[in-house]
Amino acid sequence: MTEPATIDAAVEVRDLTRTFGARKALDRVSFDLPRGAFLSVFGPNGAGKTTLVKVLTTLTAPSKGTAKVSGFDVVADAVELRSEIGLISHNPLLYPDLSAEENLVFFADMYGVPDAAARVRELLVAVELDHRRLDLVRTFSRGMLQRLSIARALLHRPKVLFLDEPYSGLDPHAVEILDHLIEQIRADHTFVMISHDLAKGLALCSHALILAKGKVVLSAPREELDEAEFAETYRATVGLGVA
Amino acid sequence: MAGEARGLSLRQFKAILHKDIVMELRTKEMITSMGLYALLTMVIYQVALSQSGTAFDPRNIAAGLLWLAFVFTSMLGLNRSLVHEKDQGCLEALLLSPVDRPVIFFAKAIGNLIFLLIVQALTIPVFAFLFLQQGSYAGEWWMIPLALLAGAVGISGVGTLLATMSVNTKGKDFVLAVLFVPLMYPLLLAAVSATSAAVLGGDGSVQQFWTGMGMMAGFDAIMLLASFALYEFIVGA
Ligand SMILES: Nc1ncnc2c1ncn2[C@@H]1O[C@H](COP(=O)(O)OP(=O)(O)OP(=O)(O)O)[C@@H](O)[C@H]1O
Ligand SMILES: [Mg+2]
Repeated sequence: MTEPATIDAAVEVRDLTRTFGARKALDRVSFDLPRGAFLSVFGPNGAGKTTLVKVLTTLTAPSKGTAKVSGFDVVADAVELRSEIGLISHNPLLYPDLSAEENLVFFADMYGVPDAAARVRELLVAVELDHRRLDLVRTFSRGMLQRLSIARALLHRPKVLFLDEPYSGLDPHAVEILDHLIEQIRADHTFVMISHDLAKGLALCSHALILAKGKVVLSAPREELDEAEFAETYRATVGLGVA
Repeated sequence: MAGEARGLSLRQFKAILHKDIVMELRTKEMITSMGLYALLTMVIYQVALSQSGTAFDPRNIAAGLLWLAFVFTSMLGLNRSLVHEKDQGCLEALLLSPVDRPVIFFAKAIGNLIFLLIVQALTIPVFAFLFLQQGSYAGEWWMIPLALLAGAVGISGVGTLLATMSVNTKGKDFVLAVLFVPLMYPLLLAAVSATSAAVLGGDGSVQQFWTGMGMMAGFDAIMLLASFALYEFIVGA
């Protein structure tokens, strides 16, 4: 449709706009992300970060512009795209009245995961919730919920992972678990992570993006960034306040 | 390819249905609220008819009373089936997965149908005990269950569709209530007519029964086709 960007692009965003009434949550956002990259998205509250992730994960339709993830258009190829992506969002996206194991088995079925039982067990062990697998999710703490939702997002081995503030609410040990999980799958996955933690976001990323009031303020590969300058830009945009 | 996709859809359908039944068995939210509501309606009928005297035969209005109870009961209950998904943010998780939207509809609608049939099965004996003691039931034994089933299919389908619409709308209960009755009107008319024919018997009752059944079947078919076509759009709104 538009000019073909690099074949290898995991995410291709062109003039993406999303309005809610008169408010522009995203305003002509454009950027590319190569396969295997790790994008950290920064920006003040209300900048449009979550909206961006929702559009890229097919949960919200764009008002204008186009976006492709893993080569699939978020509108036209939404069904195919959904098998390729995983999302860890603010919400755990788990059923409180099902046990940890039942939740994962349910989502394994929804994604058509082969050999579901083994995969579920493997992930429960990886997020260190195997001993609580029979407990109702209702009884879980915030950090445990977050770990389980990480397991849910990884079930179907998605190629592109979206993480909306995945570290919020985690204790240091859970942070380690998440770090470890990311490190393990880093090589063969593309990541888009929203973060308010500048140090953490920069340490992990290969690309950085700052959004403010729905617009791209800065978008650059990590190696081209001057850290002090970046921090200055970030502070200035956050200083702009809520859109 | 196509066979594989169908296999996945079937697996997803079973998973959603199984999950809803497991959760309902655990929380008993819908069955209790709907069952209780239906029973309370019976009590209110009892009060309302308490002064009607012996000359009056409640069988004449039995079918209408029954369906009235089922309509109000389902308006109360069906709303819950999607609200609980929405409240916990799970609708998003469902929408995020590679499931064809009509699969969600059919799984939810079948779940609702099962719950509604259970409520009907609980209500009928109470109703018969309270109102149908004098004078016997005229039709064949299978007529009533058949009419109840055909009506319940329509109610569950329309109810599931409207409940989905209303989760994305502000006045949730309002949307369901306002649209439910007008949409259900033809089905209700047919259901009451068929059920009444079964209860009362008499000349031409068999024909009246099958006319009602035919209308209900037509309504159910149209409703299912419309849901199939519209669900993607409705759920994505
Ligand atoms: N469903 C919605 N209806 C109306 N406005 C919305 C909706 N979702 C988001 N917005 C608006 O869009 C803007 C961007 O919101 P978004 O959630 O994307 O911000 P964010 O960058 O994720 O913020 P935070 O750091 O607080 O998570 C905000 O002004 C918000 O009010
Ligand atoms: Mg956000």
